Order: sequence, then C-alpha cells, then structure tokens
Amino acid sequence: MDEEPERAKRWEGGYERTWEVLKEDESGSLRATVEDILFQAKRKRVFESHGQVRLGMMRHLFVIIDSSRSMEDQDLKPNRLTSTLKLMEYFVEEYFDQNPISQVGIITTKNKRAEKLTDLAGNPKKHIAALKKTVDSTCVGEPSLYNSLNLAMQTLKHMPAHTSKEILVVFSSLTTCDPANIYELIKTLNGLKIRVSVIGLSAEVRVCTILTRETGGSYNVILDESHFKELLMLHVKPPPASSSSECSLIRMGFPQHVIASMSDQDAKPSFSMSHLDSAGEPGLTLGGYYCPQCRAKYTELPVECKVCGLTLVSAPHLARSFHHLFPLEAFQETPLEEYEGESINLCLFRFCEACQGELKDKSVFTCLACKKVFCVECDLFIHDILHCCSGCMQTDRTS
Amino acid sequence: MASDDEINILVIVIDVNPIWWGQQAQREPQFTLSTCLDSLMVLANAHLVMSRTNKLAVIANLYQNSHFLYPSKQWKLGDEISTSSDGKYELLSVTNDLFAEEIKNLMDRTEVSGSQTESLLAVSLAKALCYIHRVSKDVQAGQDVKSRILVIKAAEDSTLQYMNFMNVIFAAQKKNILIDACVLDADSGLLQQACDITGGLYLRIPQKIALTQYLLWVFLPDADQRSQLLLPPPVHVDYRAACFCHRNLIEIGYVCSVCLSIFCNFSPICTTCETAFKMPLPQMAKTKKKKVKTAI
Repeated sequence: MDEEPERAKRWEGGYERTWEVLKEDESGSLRATVEDILFQAKRKRVFESHGQVRLGMMRHLFVIIDSSRSMEDQDLKPNRLTSTLKLMEYFVEEYFDQNPISQVGIITTKNKRAEKLTDLAGNPKKHIAALKKTVDSTCVGEPSLYNSLNLAMQTLKHMPAHTSKEILVVFSSLTTCDPANIYELIKTLNGLKIRVSVIGLSAEVRVCTILTRETGGSYNVILDESHFKELLMLHVKPPPASSSSECSLIRMGFPQHVIASMSDQDAKPSFSMSHLDSAGEPGLTLGGYYCPQCRAKYTELPVECKVCGLTLVSAPHLARSFHHLFPLEAFQETPLEEYEGESINLCLFRFCEACQGELKDKSVFTCLACKKVFCVECDLFIHDILHCCSGCMQTDRTS
Repeated sequence: MASDDEINILVIVIDVNPIWWGQQAQREPQFTLSTCLDSLMVLANAHLVMSRTNKLAVIANLYQNSHFLYPSKQWKLGDEISTSSDGKYELLSVTNDLFAEEIKNLMDRTEVSGSQTESLLAVSLAKALCYIHRVSKDVQAGQDVKSRILVIKAAEDSTLQYMNFMNVIFAAQKKNILIDACVLDADSGLLQQACDITGGLYLRIPQKIALTQYLLWVFLPDADQRSQLLLPPPVHVDYRAACFCHRNLIEIGYVCSVCLSIFCNFSPICTTCETAFKMPLPQMAKTKKKKVKTAI
C-alpha cells in the first residue's frame, strides 16, 4: 500500500523570498504591483477544461461533517462548526444549481458514532433546513471515520451503476475511533467504486491520505476560510467519470405542470405525494405535476416518484447541465497595445464586443473561434455564468 | 418612491427582422416598424423620467446579429449633441435623436436575404446581460441595482439556438434579472420558458396598434410595483422535452447518462455520443429439475 513515493513536504523545500514579488517604481510607489496582483487574482481560476472527457452527470454525494470536540475550536470564526455549516448551505445551493439531477445526503459524526442528518434527496430545501438546525448542537467526543463511511456506503451500494457515487468528508479532528480495520473498508469502497474526498481543517492525517489515494479522490487541508470555500466549490463541478461506470439509458418522465383554476369543473384539490412523510401542514392543492406513468401528484421537480419509481424531471433541468458537456474554450489573453480596434470615421475604437465598454485593462481577451475581443470582466462573466460567446453565436448557424 | 439608492436598468431588445416587418406593413399599414419604434421611444422616455437614476439601453436584433442602438459607440467619441429647441428635457431629446439616427444607419447598411425569416434572440440577450453586468459593477457602494430585459418579438423562433438560449436564461436567473416578453405575432415557447424561469411577464398583444398602451401599462412598472397591479395571468408553459430523433414532445423518455440526450425509444447506441449501452437481458425462467423416479 505504500509504494507511491511521498510528496516532498513544504518544510522540506528551500524557503521562498516572498518579499521579492513587490517591486517599487521610480517614485517609490507600489501601485503598479498592487494592480498587477489584483488583476492576477481576478484571473486566478484553475482552467481545467476537460474537453472530451466523460463527466459523471448524475451524482449521489454524501457529505460527512465532523461534529467532534475539535470543531469547537475558534480558528474559524465564530467556531469551526458554524462556519462549516454556513459554507455547507452555500455549497448545497451551488451544487443543485450545477447538477440539477443529482442528490445529496448529510451525515454527522460525533461521540464515536455516526448519524444521518438527511437522506439522499434532490431537493435543496430539506438539507438547508436541517443544516440550520444543527448549528445549535453540541460538539462532543471523537469522530468515527469507519462508522460514518460505513453508514454512507450502506445507502450508496444500492445505487445504480451509471451514477457517480461520491463521499466528501469534512474532517477536523486528528484522531478517529474505529471498531474495525479501516483498510478493509477502504478495499470495500474501492470495490463498490465509491470516490472519497477529504477536506481537512486541522492538518494532514495519514489515514485520510491513503483513503483518498486508494479511492481516487482528492485531499486538501484548508489555510483559511476563503480557501475552505474555494475547496468546497471545487467539488461542485461534476468530476470526470471513472472508466468503470457504465453508461445506460435512464428512463425518465417529463410531467406537465397543470394549473387548474377554481372555475374548472373537473378540478379537485388533492394531496401531493411529497407530503406523505413531511410533518408540515398537508396542503391540498389544485395544480401540480402528474407522473405520466401512475398519475401521482407532486409539487416540485426533480423527484423520484414514490409510487412507480420513475424519475421525474423537466427539460430545463437537463439543459442546466449542458454547459458541462460542451464547455466554452478559454479566451486568449493579449496585451492591450497589440489590439488595434476598428476604425470608424477615422477614429480608433476599442470596445468590448459584449458589454460595449471601452477597453481599459492591461490585456484583452480574444475568442479563438470568432476572433472578437472582450474585456476582463466580460471574460469572467462569460466563463463563469453565461457559458456562451456572443461573437460565436453571430457567426455560426447551429446551436 | 424612487430613491437615490436604487438604480433600475431597463434593456429593450427589439426584433427588427426586415422580412417580417415588410410583410406586416402590407398586412396592416397602420402598424409599421416606425410606429413600433415610436411606441418604444415613448416607453424609453417614460422609463428615464420615472427616476433620475434609471438607466436605459436598446438593442436591435437582426437575424443573428445584434446592434446597440443606445448607448452607441459613436456618441462617446464625437460629442455632437444637438441642444433641444423646444424645451424638452435634454436627456430625452438626445436619446430620441440618437435612437432614430442609429436605426436609420442600421437599416441602410443591411442587406436583406429571403431565407432569413426567423430571429435568433440569444445573441442580443447575451450582450444585454454583459452590459448589465458591467453597469452593475460601476455603481457606487450602497446602491442597489435592479435590472430587467424587455424583449419585443416579431418574427418566429428558431430552434437552432436552444442551448445558447437556455444558458442565457439560467445566467439571468442567477443574477436576478427579469426577462419580460411582449410578443406581437406568434407565441414563442422559448420566451415563455424564459419568463417563467426568471419571473418576468409574458404577454401576447391582441391588437398591435395599441402597442403603446400595453407597453406603458404592463411593462413600465418595475418588479416591486408589479405586486400591486393586476397583470395578465401567467401562461401555461410546456416543459416537456423533445426527443432528439423525431423532435416530438414526449412524456416518458430515455436519457443517455453520458450526454443527456433524450430518446423516445430504447436503442443500443446513443446517436450523440456514440456510447454503447448495456442491454437489459430478458429474465430466464428457471426450469425445475424434475426428479426421475427410478422404479424400485
């Protein structure tokens, strides 16, 4: 198990002279360097365009949150647990935004036991409500990595083979209390093709290193809160599918939204199937989504029909994932001086193609396909949120 | 009601497909492109007058190309603003003049080709979003920015732009930008979805001559004021998916787990990503072994 050469630790390398980054200009001001650093910070994003790699679109992710005594530490304000839960709420929202047909479940571990906070579900509201309630809970005892992984595995092993099964552990303690050999569990996880990633809040723990290395996940330790957020956001994007996951055709239903009004003769108020287990007030509603196979009613999509087992989605849910499959190429960065702009009425125009603002930054970005020029803000906006180039849309005829 | 802390940005996207407008002028001579643009100018002026901090942009959409009518690039460099002679608020007269000049220039230099009867609005919407993004960044701290896009649609939808259109809709929803639609002729499924997802208003105008009325009564109030008005009810949006093989709307379909393309029938190979699927084997019934009784 220890064949892989260990990476050199940071304290083993030579020291870096970080003060040499700052350079003063003739008048003694640091402004140029500071602007440069800010500009680089805007552009800092890991651009791993996967291109032709297959991504796991339907994801079943379990998040294991450590609730042991070390989470009361106040190095993250106000304490680690509150900070983690707040970031988890943001993570859940972003996750369902980018992966609308996936599911998330939350497990907490403390006192040498593991407990399921929420089951695997596709609706963000339940998870966010549960996370909000957990802020008041006490952090006591030691976590148990084995028990929590086992609990997650019990549910994940029944999931169909074409989905991507993942576990994300937020681990802050340096110890774990396990009833059995965790290396056996790691072998079982490997056999079930479950990918485990860990975000450490304290320091690197060897068993986590081995766990993530064997199952193919990633292990990172946070530096501060913004780094924590960045690491969490890395898990929002769908990971490359492992070669062993099978591809199959999944049968799905696309129900129509029926809005019946009181004046309709046939409209009868009815219960929605999603309210069967909820303790909230049972709502009798007139309209809703009817499963095309068994006519059971639901108020929201996406959902798995409790009666007949058909997955119900709407077409926009699938469309949300399209930008992962056809990602936009990165734009090429060129200095502003090299771009000549168009000349209209003998004046030189340098405008951003998308927002029509004047180009004032140090460098401009050119789309390689349509050769149109964009400013740095539009480049960030287009690649993060918009996912389509307005220049390319004007030239090609197909979507 | 309008305070200095709130900035309302309205971006109007007008579809100026020459073929549709040409046919329209022959059908109904009272309602042509110039009357439509007059109505738009009324709405634009009304919006600018509602509050000192309101901002406006107008984009014209011509087949696949889009062109900013206001604010225009030439205005920035060559400031030849004619001062108004009739005492009108100067911003309004400047806006109107520029608007008229730009649309004339645009129409002059466009070549009409008979095959382009559909309009692809995704380009203009994408540019509108980038413009709003830039303007939102330029405001001072403490000011709230509320923005919306009003689309005036004339010609028919084109199915070529489905993916780009959906990307634009999701981006607008993420940035809380409403997309309203004022449809002159045929219903547009894409715009209905856009209005439903972003929370905007979709209206198909029964009488085109009364465009000014509809614009001022329905589309001028911004999002906060809409809760106090009785507006046209939301339309029923068809969210069923179309299968990739026949383009029929289906209720139950098969989705490829790799590329998310939708099929109406089970097939062993996905046509989009060419992955072979596992075929579900028919269940083999177990035959009971009959014990042969040996004669004793």
